[in-house]
Amino acid sequence: MQLFKTITNDTLHCVKLANGLPIMILPRKGFQKKYAVFAVRYGSLDSQFEVAGKGVVKVPDGIAHFLEHKLFEDEAVPVFERFAKFGASVNAYTSYTMTAYLFSTIDFFPEALRELLHFVQNPYLTEENVAKERGIIEQELRMYEDHPGRRIYRNLLNALYHRHPIRLDVGGTVESIRDITVELLWECYNLFYQPANMALAVAGDVDPTEVADIVGLKMEEWKYQRQEVKPILPDEPDQVSQPCVEQRMVISRPRYYLGFKQTEYCTGKALLKQQLAMNMIWRSLAAKSSSVFAGLYDSGLINDSFEASFHGAPQYAFSVAGSETDDPQRLDRELREAITRLTKSRLSPEEADRMKRHILGNYLAAFNSLDYLANGMIAHLFNGTDFLQIPEALDSLTVDEVNLYLSEAFKPEQSAVSILLPEQ
Amino acid sequence: MDFTFRKIAEGVNLYLYETDKFATVTVKVFIQNSLAPKTAAANALIPMVLVQGTKSYPTRMSLAREMESLYGCVLGADIDKIGERQVIEFYFDIVAPSLIPNGRQAFREGMAAFGELIAEPAVEGGVFCHDHFHKEKTNLIKMVDGLINNKQAYAVWQAVKNMCRDEPFGLYKYGERVQIEQLEPVPVYEHYRQMLQSNPIDIFAVGPNLRDVPELISSWPWERAAVKELPPVVVKEDVNEQEIWETQDVQQAVLVMGYRTAQRYLSPDYYGLLVANGILGAFPHSKLFINVREKASLAYYIDSSLEGSKGLLIVTAGIAPQTDRQAVDIVRRQIAEIQDGSITDDELARTKAGLISGIKKMLDDPGAIIDRNLIGIVHNELRSPQTVMDRIASVTKEQVQQGAQGLKLDTIYCLSGQKGET
Repeated sequence: MQLFKTITNDTLHCVKLANGLPIMILPRKGFQKKYAVFAVRYGSLDSQFEVAGKGVVKVPDGIAHFLEHKLFEDEAVPVFERFAKFGASVNAYTSYTMTAYLFSTIDFFPEALRELLHFVQNPYLTEENVAKERGIIEQELRMYEDHPGRRIYRNLLNALYHRHPIRLDVGGTVESIRDITVELLWECYNLFYQPANMALAVAGDVDPTEVADIVGLKMEEWKYQRQEVKPILPDEPDQVSQPCVEQRMVISRPRYYLGFKQTEYCTGKALLKQQLAMNMIWRSLAAKSSSVFAGLYDSGLINDSFEASFHGAPQYAFSVAGSETDDPQRLDRELREAITRLTKSRLSPEEADRMKRHILGNYLAAFNSLDYLANGMIAHLFNGTDFLQIPEALDSLTVDEVNLYLSEAFKPEQSAVSILLPEQ
Repeated sequence: MDFTFRKIAEGVNLYLYETDKFATVTVKVFIQNSLAPKTAAANALIPMVLVQGTKSYPTRMSLAREMESLYGCVLGADIDKIGERQVIEFYFDIVAPSLIPNGRQAFREGMAAFGELIAEPAVEGGVFCHDHFHKEKTNLIKMVDGLINNKQAYAVWQAVKNMCRDEPFGLYKYGERVQIEQLEPVPVYEHYRQMLQSNPIDIFAVGPNLRDVPELISSWPWERAAVKELPPVVVKEDVNEQEIWETQDVQQAVLVMGYRTAQRYLSPDYYGLLVANGILGAFPHSKLFINVREKASLAYYIDSSLEGSKGLLIVTAGIAPQTDRQAVDIVRRQIAEIQDGSITDDELARTKAGLISGIKKMLDDPGAIIDRNLIGIVHNELRSPQTVMDRIASVTKEQVQQGAQGLKLDTIYCLSGQKGET
């Protein structure tokens, strides 16, 4: 077991099992709750891939999410019940790049951890339960259609991208899920659910050796066939698909979102730098400390719903910013002007220093949340970055580097606007 | 765990819980006021105006920049409603001094800004800045109008408002549009100064090394007079069922059933009611979830929640159109079952375990450790997590039955796409 000190003086215990599964355990003394997450590097973007000896395989969109639902099926006792017995609550989520199964509990941690490893290793798929799930997921996808926040975001990504699967909801489309079969689910499960393509993280008042032993024993039971899979992303043009998209819905005020896609996808240290720099750049435009935010707020163009964020991973890079507003056209003009002004004036060293302090403070405060720690460690591992390296990466990032990102981030031909308007 | 108590000034109570478990220090200040037609809108607007600036940081931008420099210190204010009280809540969260350079100094600076946020706002001509005041008035009106965007919250509020139309509890947490429109800077500012002088104030701090906290809080400019006594909740004894059907262009109907309870926070048998609510609808194993959702497939979601201060139990369900009557019948039947004592040992044990582990989970979150005391300060009786867990653990099936027997259905409200009658 390898030990690493965190900035809070906690000790992260890491070990890699013989089958390739990395385990990360962060003991936090005094916490009541114990939290574990078991994740696979397989998300909604992975619908086309190259399999060694088989060539390129294309499967319907939404399989990763469909599998996530299905793994909760069990021949004898429903998975939720198995955890409820220990007073533990179990859950799961699928993102663009990973699927995660997790639970938290006060008591019976070893028992619940064995349950987690057991159900992820043992899918129970039948024609009948897969057919039933199609109906449930279709309802879920239709429900999102009525949600203004999701609608405006989805419309924006469709405007930004021509072919990249990030255009689609993580769950796929109502049409694509109809093509998902028991055979396809098994095929994807067998290809991606492999110890070397997965990771396990635990946080809470636990004994690291005990946790590692439980996982080691439970993993020995797993029958799987080692496979080499390489996901493939379609070629995506630099330009956006559509500069502006509008839709009407039953809402009390219009909403406006501006997006920029970036063509350079990073990994490892470069990705960490990109994430930190873009975070600082957007703070400079959209945080309460920003003169841009103050100007837009004081003129009544935006309210506290105004937000901006950068989303970057080895498979994609884009930014979104927007708010409720009574005048989307004027907000578009003023926000774009502010971006142009910042690109010319650049971030000052004082401003960059202030933002670095803010980001460091948030990083430290996150040590209060076991959920955040466990999920964050895995997401960073899958991105090839290191959660514990964030303070150092932040410290070494210079204002000139940040301004270099700034000069590349906002190209008008790589931007699109998504607007929602109230029904007339 | 338990808080230690210090009196700061007349009616200003400080509660400290020192622990190394957290990477932050969290401080919250609660100023109580009664929920009343004359002041509800003003109380809602005050926190929104206060966060726009303080004496030393007269704009929100300058205040936010200071907070960034203090390693992402969080500072803010909001309004809570609990029973027939409105509580202005101020919150402050900063990284533990030992984890940042010059941490102790940063902590003192942050606490000074926090004190200004509460006691020394940005003023103009002796009252709230005109610009801040009017902009936030507009924002508050838009927020109140925006309730319609969230159908579930809208439906619950319509039910409660109709249920309590002759009681203070029927006042909206953020005030009504007409009340907000009439607000002016001078009377609102004077009202706030009055509250600072004579309303009950409770302050909680959680985190490592709180040794400077009492001194820092004592140094804020308190000008306290005699403490105002706030009235208890109005209890309606004479309950008659009413039904309200509203139609709007919605895909999913929202059904709300409002019950009055016989027990409240200070009742000796309050925890019997709390467990009864758990068995009815607070968990995935609860009767409502199992019978309305899983067995009858009527609801997308369904739960029940308890307002232990006012004494209300509210059932909320998202249901398919035209199934409201059927859903109402099943809910009634579940309550009747608990009243008759048709509760399995497993239901009772799981519910108690669920409530107790909920309390333990709260102890991992500094904000939740503080917030769980809100109901206690309103009733002048704080209860430690251990006390509450012990009382839940000792609840018998008979006490649960008793809790349920005190439930009286007051209002059935349904928001649906078509006419409710089937």
